Order: sequence, then C-alpha cells, then structure tokens
Amino acid sequence: MRKKLIPAILLVSSVPAILFSAGCKKEPPGNSATATFGAYDTEPDWNDTSKLIKLGYAESQGKHIFYTYCVWCHADATPAGPSNRSNLTPMPPLLNDGDKLNGESDEYLQNMITLGGGALGKSEMMPPYGKTLTPEEIKSVIAFARAIAQPPYQKPGRPGSAYAPK
Amino acid sequence: MPAEDMGKLSDKLRLTFAVSTVVCVLVLAISPVKDFRAEWKHYKRAYVKFAQGRSDTKRLLGDYTMEIDQIWLPTMNVTDRCMTCHQGIAQPSLADSSVPQPFRAHPSIPHNIREWGCTICHRGQGPATEVAEAHKTTLAWEQPLLPARFLQASCGSCHQADIKEAPQLARGRELLSYLNCQGCHRLNTVDRSRLGPDLSSVGYKVSREWIYKWLKEPRTVLDKDGNTTVNGYENGDESRMPKFRLKEEEIRALSGFLSVQKAKPIEVYKINPAVVSAWSKNPELLSQGELRFRQMMCTTCHPLAVTRAGETKLIGGNIGPELTKIGSKVNKAWLIAWLRDPKSYLPNTSMPQYRWSDEDLYKVSEYVTSKLSDSDLFSNVPQLGAPTEEEIQTGKRLFTDKGCSSCHVLNGAPTQKDFGPDLTALGRKNASELEFSKSKIERNLVSYIQAKLQDPVSVNPAARMPQYSWNQEDLDAVTTALLSQTGPPPTSALQHLVIPKKETAFQVVGAFAQVFERYKCYACHRFNGYGGTLAPDLSYEGSRAQKKWIAEFLKNPQTIRPALILRMPQFNMSDKDAQVAAEYLSLVLQKPDVDPESVDVRQFTPAMAAKGKQLYEVKYECQSCHTIGATGGYVGPNLNNAGNWLTPAWIEAWLRNPQALLPDTLEPRRNFTEEEIRALTAYLLTLRTGIKTQSVKSAGNLHSLAQGAGR
Repeated sequence: MRKKLIPAILLVSSVPAILFSAGCKKEPPGNSATATFGAYDTEPDWNDTSKLIKLGYAESQGKHIFYTYCVWCHADATPAGPSNRSNLTPMPPLLNDGDKLNGESDEYLQNMITLGGGALGKSEMMPPYGKTLTPEEIKSVIAFARAIAQPPYQKPGRPGSAYAPK
Repeated sequence: MPAEDMGKLSDKLRLTFAVSTVVCVLVLAISPVKDFRAEWKHYKRAYVKFAQGRSDTKRLLGDYTMEIDQIWLPTMNVTDRCMTCHQGIAQPSLADSSVPQPFRAHPSIPHNIREWGCTICHRGQGPATEVAEAHKTTLAWEQPLLPARFLQASCGSCHQADIKEAPQLARGRELLSYLNCQGCHRLNTVDRSRLGPDLSSVGYKVSREWIYKWLKEPRTVLDKDGNTTVNGYENGDESRMPKFRLKEEEIRALSGFLSVQKAKPIEVYKINPAVVSAWSKNPELLSQGELRFRQMMCTTCHPLAVTRAGETKLIGGNIGPELTKIGSKVNKAWLIAWLRDPKSYLPNTSMPQYRWSDEDLYKVSEYVTSKLSDSDLFSNVPQLGAPTEEEIQTGKRLFTDKGCSSCHVLNGAPTQKDFGPDLTALGRKNASELEFSKSKIERNLVSYIQAKLQDPVSVNPAARMPQYSWNQEDLDAVTTALLSQTGPPPTSALQHLVIPKKETAFQVVGAFAQVFERYKCYACHRFNGYGGTLAPDLSYEGSRAQKKWIAEFLKNPQTIRPALILRMPQFNMSDKDAQVAAEYLSLVLQKPDVDPESVDVRQFTPAMAAKGKQLYEVKYECQSCHTIGATGGYVGPNLNNAGNWLTPAWIEAWLRNPQALLPDTLEPRRNFTEEEIRALTAYLLTLRTGIKTQSVKSAGNLHSLAQGAGR
C-alpha cells in the first residue's frame, strides 16, 4: 500500500510544479503611446510646415542651440520676427538647405562652426564658435541640420559595414 | 496477494515507476531549460552574433560575459540590469541609427551612464530581466518607462535650478509659476508665483456687467473676433485667469458680491480745465493720444491685439494685462487715478509710476477709453442692476468655496493656502495611487496628468480645478514639470545630489531706492539674479556704460538693438531721478574684474582707430551683426554711439571674452590679439552719434524690420 503511494505523491506533486513553471509568464496589455510630440523633440519641415520631423536627443539639443545662436542668419524667420539673412552678402545658407549642406561632411561642418568661415576660405561673416560652444554642442547642431535637411540627408555608408544603408 | 509475488513488482507498478521517473527528470530539467531560454540570454547571444558581423568585434566583446550586467547604487536604491540587453549602450561605434535596438549606443549626455545607470532618468524597472517587466506596467511592477518626450522631468528631480539642457522643463516651471498653480497646490522648485490682482476695491474699477462677462468667459473678453484662439495661442501664453465652471446664479452672485467691494475710495483727479478745453475739440486728440501711448512704450509690458493683413495677433510683453478692450472695462476716473499712482490701488503692482503732464494724461486717457474699447462687449450680458443682499451673501460664500481667495486678496485677508492637493510628490506616484474613478483614461501617470490638465472633469466629475486651454507644447511642458515633482530624495544621504535653486534678493539703499521702486526697474531688468528677464541684465551696468550716457538714456531712451520688439518705456523721468539712478548704477553695479583704470584712453591714436576700422570692416566683418550708421546687421546692438555709451575697460574685456561678462550673450568669443583688441577699442571709441554712411539697401531693410516688428 505504501509503495503505491510514493509514485502517486511524486506524480501529484509534479503537476503543480509543471503548471507553475510553465504558466507564470503573461503579457501585460500593450499600451501604445500617443503619437503627438511637443516642440522640443520635433521640428516642422521648413518647406512644408504641416509635416513634423522627429528629433532624437542630440538633435533636440542642437535645435535649442540653433535657435539661440544661429537662427538669426541661417533662417528666414527668427524669434524676433524677420531675419538678418537678407542683410548679408553672400547670403548664408538656410540650415535645411540640403543641396548645399548634404555634400559637406560632418567634419567639415564641425570645422566651419569651430573655426569660422574665414579660416576655411569662406565668408568672414561666419564667426568662429569654437570658444563659445563645446564640440559636443556643435556636433548636436550638425545633427539637427542633418535631421531637417531638404532634400533629406543620406549618411555615407561605411565601406565593408553590414549596416551601410542599401 | 500470493506469497511468491511478495518482493516482486507488478507490471502496473513498474509502469508507474517508469512514468514518474521520466516526469521527475523532466521536472528537474525545466529549470535549466527555462534558464537557457531566458529572454535576456536571447539578447546576449544575439549581441555576440551581431558583434561578430562587424569589423570591431574584439572591442565590442571586450567585457562580454554570459551573465546579468548590473549597476548597483545602494545609496540611491538603484539596481539597473538594463545593460544586460542594451549591451552596446556605451560603445561609441554603435551610435549609428542603423544599429538595431537594443544594441544601439546611448547619445552622449553630460552624465556617465556607467556610473548612474538608466532608471534614474528613464524610470521603469531596473531589476527586471524581461522586456515587458522592465519597460511597462505589469501586475507586480508598477513603474513604467517615462515616455521620451517627458524625459526632461528626470533632470528636475536633482536640478532644482533651471539648466539649459532642459528647456521644456524650464518652460513648464515658468508656466506653473506664471499661472500661479501654487495658489492652490503645493509645488517644489517653482518660482514664487505672481498672485492675481487684489480685489478689495474692484467695485471702483469695473462694472458688475464686466465681472459677469469675465467670470462667464474670461478669454473672449480679450478676444476681438469672438473666438478664443487669439489670446494664448498666437502669443504663446495661457490666459492667467482660467475658466471656472460656474452656474448662471453663481456668476450673478459673485459679480454682485465683487461689485460692492469698495474698501478704499480712489482719489479723483481733476485734469486742468484749460488743457481739457484746448484739446477736447481738437480733431488730433485721439491720434496724439495714440502717439503718446506708443512713445511711452506701454506695449513693452502690455499686449495689444493688432490686426494686420487680415490676421489678428497679440503683440507686446506679458508682464501687464492685455489692453485691447480696456476702455470698455475700466471706469475713466479710476484709469486716471491708476495712471497717476498705481501703488495707491495695488500696493504690490509692477506698474511703474510715470511722470505725467496734464496734457499727456488727458490725451492718453481719452485715447484708451475711446479707441481701446468695444461697444459690443456687453451685448450678451443681461441687465444686472444693483445686487440684492442675498446675492452678496451667496457671492461671499462662493468666493471662498470656489477657491477665488487662493489667488486674489480681498480686504487684506491673506490668500487661502493648500486649496488643492499637494503635488510635491506627484511625479513618483504609481497608477494605483491615483484616483481614476470611472474615467476612460489609460491607467498611467502621464495620461492622468494630461487628462486632468486638459479637462479636470473627465477624471473626476466633482473636480474644483478650473478649465485651462493648452496648446500641445505647453501641455507637454507643464506635464514635464509636474512629473519632475518627485518629492524629497528617498534618503538623507542623497541630499547632496540636489542642486538647489539660488534664492536671490537685491536690496537697494539710499536715494536710488525710491527711483528703483517708482519706476519698477526690476519688473524688466535683472540685478544680480533678481528681477525680470525681459530687458538686459543690469548687474554690471556701471562697468559697461558711461555715467553721462546712462542719465541721458533714462531721460530719453533710444533703441540700441534694432531687432527688439519691446523697448524701454519713456517715463518722463525728472533730471534729478535720472541723475540719482546714473550715480547709483555706475558706482554700485560694477563687475569686480573689469578695472576702469586698466585702459588709458590717451594711448589711442588715430592710426590705431584706422586700423580698428579696417579690422571691423574687412578682417572680421563685424557689420554682419552690428550696425554703424545705416550699414550692417541687427543681431547685435547698434554701435552708432559706442564712444559715448561704453566704457573703454568694458570694450576691451568684452572683446577678450564676452561670455565672462554676460554668460548668455550671443556674441562668439574670438581669437583677437591684444593689439587687435586695442585697435578695435580705439575705433569703437571714435563712434559717436551723427555718423552718416550711405547704404540704401540696409537702411531699407532696417525700416521694413521696424515695421515688421510691429512698432
């Protein structure tokens, strides 16, 4: 009688163990985030303001710096209203001018902002910001420019990388 | 059972044993299999595979182990296992957006991720090792990840002072202060609020009909076209008075009660009859009044709806109330008394006390009452007449019950405190701690806050909170600021992490104190961290500007920065007041490391100035931002009168390092040599008003600019 009991106990006790180990995983109900974003992580497309461009962290920091230091000459509308751009000859490129800026590498733009136009043989009207902004801040402004470029900016693929854009 | 069968096992028993052995082995195997198939191990293996497909495999797998990676900060109660799956988070070569998640590197931020972990900023469950449990709300783990667009809220848990990396948080705190949310709620890290106006004598100022209209629809009173989009949206500011959900009889009672509040009679001023008779028939009266109104720059503080090209926009500052229909709002005798001495009506007002001639007072008050008015304002307001005693008593009760006394002082009674719930720890609440009642809102903190802000009744039908109308940006900014209210740090050991807000006070002594108080310099200007931010910081004005120039400027302010819309008002300051202010500013508001004796003006020769001109115009092309004569840009101040305006020591120090003098200035720091600095200073000191240069193009631009800017 006792010998019959042992396997029975084993069997009975294994059932909840299996149930327990198999059944405790459950998916919570999915919560989809709402698709509206405030102005700190989006920028309207300058050529078509009904479209919003989403910005990552570095880009949103760049946006903040752009609207403090650069907007006065590199946009046609500024927080104060009209822009200083039309006052200048040669006219500075708009920040979203992909035709002009997409061809330039990040390094070139970094140098341009750090050292100023004069140092790179361009207009002296572009002052150097290397002593005012940190390299990180300048990088973020470039990231912002890349994000809003029209036509859109394509990252140059790294040769041999499996993740180069097709 | 027969004796020979004793000790032998029956087939049935054998089978039972066999099955139970297999089951037993299986059960024992479940744990290792489960462990092998754990979600995090899947990502570990995927990462190895991913790294092997790249050229920098060795570096990517440098510290790889098949274990849970964990950051443990016992004092902060942080256990972060996020890096178990997010393995490339600190690998700069994985920053590219083509790298699949969860392996992508974190964007570079001011804090070291390896030192602080992830959940301090992103929230979520640090110790969890499954995707759902780490990021979302599950039954046992309540804290979900903070949506990325509110991430700046986490900055605010430690950084109580505003930081430039978190503009959204700063805007949210500014709104909480501007809208006086602290009138009803307890909040941390928000500036001291500006209360609504004292209503003790409001009966002298406005009619019962106006109060009725204002309580019914605070926004449309401000609006010219009958819709509510003009105020708030075009100008980017919310109306400070929200809409309370009041019943018709409640509005009648409150308006009745307020219209009999006449604590302190106004001092009726009689304008010289000679002035009145000389001007009252003059057809130029109103246009002259408008001219004086504009010259006094009332719109620097007060917004005004202006229709241009079919579009109505509010233009002007947000320090004072909107004035588009003020003429239909206030009583003329009150207006004149107010303009002459605002302090006697509202002791704590920011309105400066102008010096008025009777002529100006008559012209401006006539212009305001007849032109800034709207005859249709009361078209849908019923005839109310004098309030009954019952209405007054009901109004008195409602004034307290509805929370009016949280923002408005009445008869010297202090404002009501803590009318609404304490929000200092709102940001760290879990969904189960919030009162959703039967609403259809998603059960999480962010949805709760946004629903409550947008429509308080949708969360709780009995809510006392009034109705605001936000644009999406402001809604997100306020949500961010509320999410940053995470209460005091959980342990006292963390107190040192909190970067507190500096409390500032600026005490003025001597004769200047009266001038300072009369003209409310601090309403717009900042002094050593105290005061408004509308106008330039004057903490070091004594080092920057010459005394004579300050006195002249105060008497007759001129535009230095052509791009600015808002300008210094003309106060008709007396010679004595201007002199006192100039003395004080130039003596006291000095920057210690700008030594006025450091530059000897006698060393400057015309040759140096000529070289400076060359540097200014050709080598550095300063005219791209600064204007001299009519040539140049308008990003920086115009330098027409630099020789009379700026001190030589300031110019030199500024050229060496502008940010050292004003940290927020736009002027980039350049690599001038000492010789160049001297030459530029010599040149700038030769610039005095009267310089004529001929550039038609720029002059035209500046003209159109001034028009575009609204003035």
